[in-house]
Amino acid sequence: MIGDDVALPVLLGFGHDGWALALIAGAGLTMALSLTAMAIGTVLGALLTVAQMSRRGWLAALAQGYGLVLRGVPELLVVLLLYFGTPGLLAAIAALAGLPAPGSPPAFLTGSVAIGLVSAAYQAEVFRGGLLAVPRGQVEAAIAAGMGPFTRFRRVIAPQVLHHVLPPLGNIWQFNLKDSALVAITGLAELMRVSLVAAGSTRRPFAFFAAAMVLYLVLTSASSAVFRFAEARAGRWAGGR
Amino acid sequence: MMGESGTGESGFLADTALAIVAAVPVTLALFVACAVGASLLAGVLVAAQQGRVGGLVARAWIFVFRGTPLLLQIFMVYYGLAALGPVRHGPLWPAFRDPLFCAFLAMTCCCSAYIAEVLRAALAAIPPGQIEAARACGMARWTLGRRIVVPQMVRLALPAYGNELVMMLKSTSLASSVTVLDVTGVAQQVIAHSYRTVEVFCLAAAVYLGLTAALTWLLRRIERRLDPAGGR
Amino acid sequence: MAFSGMRAIARFLAPGLLLVLGSCQGSSAPNAHDELVIGTEGLYPPWNFTRPDGSLAGFEPDYLRVLCARIHRRCRMVAMDWDGMVGALLTGKIDVIADAVQITPERSGVLAFGRPYALTTGVIATLRGSPLAALPDGGARLDFDHRGPALDAKIAHLRNGLAGKVIGVELSGAFDTFLNQSLGSAVSIRYYRTMGERDLDLLNGRIDATLEDESYLHPLLATRDGAALVLAGPRMIGGTMGRGEALAFRPKDNALRAQFNDAIGATLADGTVRRLGLQWFRMDASPGAAR
Repeated sequence: MIGDDVALPVLLGFGHDGWALALIAGAGLTMALSLTAMAIGTVLGALLTVAQMSRRGWLAALAQGYGLVLRGVPELLVVLLLYFGTPGLLAAIAALAGLPAPGSPPAFLTGSVAIGLVSAAYQAEVFRGGLLAVPRGQVEAAIAAGMGPFTRFRRVIAPQVLHHVLPPLGNIWQFNLKDSALVAITGLAELMRVSLVAAGSTRRPFAFFAAAMVLYLVLTSASSAVFRFAEARAGRWAGGR
Repeated sequence: MMGESGTGESGFLADTALAIVAAVPVTLALFVACAVGASLLAGVLVAAQQGRVGGLVARAWIFVFRGTPLLLQIFMVYYGLAALGPVRHGPLWPAFRDPLFCAFLAMTCCCSAYIAEVLRAALAAIPPGQIEAARACGMARWTLGRRIVVPQMVRLALPAYGNELVMMLKSTSLASSVTVLDVTGVAQQVIAHSYRTVEVFCLAAAVYLGLTAALTWLLRRIERRLDPAGGR
Repeated sequence: MAFSGMRAIARFLAPGLLLVLGSCQGSSAPNAHDELVIGTEGLYPPWNFTRPDGSLAGFEPDYLRVLCARIHRRCRMVAMDWDGMVGALLTGKIDVIADAVQITPERSGVLAFGRPYALTTGVIATLRGSPLAALPDGGARLDFDHRGPALDAKIAHLRNGLAGKVIGVELSGAFDTFLNQSLGSAVSIRYYRTMGERDLDLLNGRIDATLEDESYLHPLLATRDGAALVLAGPRMIGGTMGRGEALAFRPKDNALRAQFNDAIGATLADGTVRRLGLQWFRMDASPGAAR
């Protein structure tokens, strides 16, 4: 009745009793989750970088503190706290505004925000390093040459920062991809969760975890190929090294 | 479904904090065992990379363990391997039966791949001229390793190696997913009986924050001690 | 009636998921003419489980389809983990819980239960070769709502028989509380997030036994893997373990609960529950069945 007495090739196949489509769909959701988390991390990370370099002491300290906390707490706890904590938090905020409780946000959203919050702390460090790598003299020279702030950013700062940040960003992306597996505990049917459900209900853990490992390897190596390509392009853009 | 009648708000938090702190030794023991195991294994991997066959094996190892989530690796070692006859009925079953050992094994394999990459980068950063010079002086292989290569590798690798250690300390929390009662595991157990999620997880987060801060401080000190510029 | 699980939707709309789920958010305040959202676990066969294509199947999806038709409401079943389900009900994300929820005194403080549609007992399962297979009082019925010397003697048998053993249960399930309160000091308890993980450890021998509902264990024992297991000791009911499985509602939704209660009464009378029980549990699990 429940995946019982079905041969392993059938369980791993595309048929009615097979989990292949579910695993592939899970890999798709893992990808979507990681991309959303990365985007959240990039936006928040850039804001944190600006805050860190701010002349307002309290703002810089706030950004610094954020980084320390989010890099010092296990990602698993960040995911758990957000998943269980947000319904109460949202209800409290809604109560302040006199609105009914909005219910708990979807697992996809809390999961990607949780991974994104951690990602932001690491991305902020990378952006800061990238900005510091642009020699001060170049910026001054660009000002002397009469470049406006926008042109300066586009022609002088951005290409060099990009060249510096792409390799570490590639690393962070890989961490995002692997951290997305933690969202499995919220019940979201991403790759890790699907493999766990399949392993539990068919009682064939080795086969399903191995299949999930292969799919993760496909995702990580394909995306690292994309990053290598981008790095080569950015290298040429920054003056070909 | 509000848990057992407690001794009030502060009483509950104090009891929970005590229970969580009592689990710190489990987390720390797992971390120390993995740090030692992974560092040794990483050394073996870097040494293996110097040969052709060993290089292939080492590269495959690093590819697999860096390319998949640690959580999946832990599940694979704990549930996946235990379903295989040779493991289940083999002489190593008493070890594999233990969740803590499985978490240790998976984490050691995973972290060894990351540390091997750190060590390889440090090895590549040693100027080849130094090694050639040492050879020219007639230094034996062993002495060369001991006097020239290893000391520099340690110093060059330390910042990145330290980052890996901090990551590893945080990763120990994943052991809770295979029934290990570490800091996170105890926190989840308390929540199951009290339904007070946020407070308990915040307490656990604070404990981890303290542990990582202490580790970071320790690593900074060691880095300064090893700095040939005299360590400000 | 769109009875496909949330997971099935999520899988095929993964890229645009944010938008889709964002619009779900808007409908969190249900009114009488909207569809009812029913929460279930999707990991508790044969009550409710997830098929490889992401759809939900089992006793409860089938039964709720019948009930919803009887009360003329559109229903949609969504899967979520048990530990977040009560919160989801109370905050309005779902309207009903259908997850083999035992009516326990603890839960009655927060949830309003409907009329029970099943009455099942808890029992111990262990590997065939285990010494626990010979636990005393095999098959006897222990009712924890009827305290007395006879019950205390049987609890003592159980405590002695299980002393020093490792028992695995689901985190925050009904049996978790019972083990903790009645046997906590004698046995060591290991907690699992899902039933599947617990079953794997029971089969490979990492845990000595589990305490689980008979409705879950009977079908498991009938599978090829489950043939390695036997049931042992008494069948237990009442007390912190609860008495009967029922739908859970928000306490203020009295009208909805009354509607469902009428429908449940009708399906108990016309044999629908008995038929579904025989189909999914291999036994009549309805509260009136003489067992």
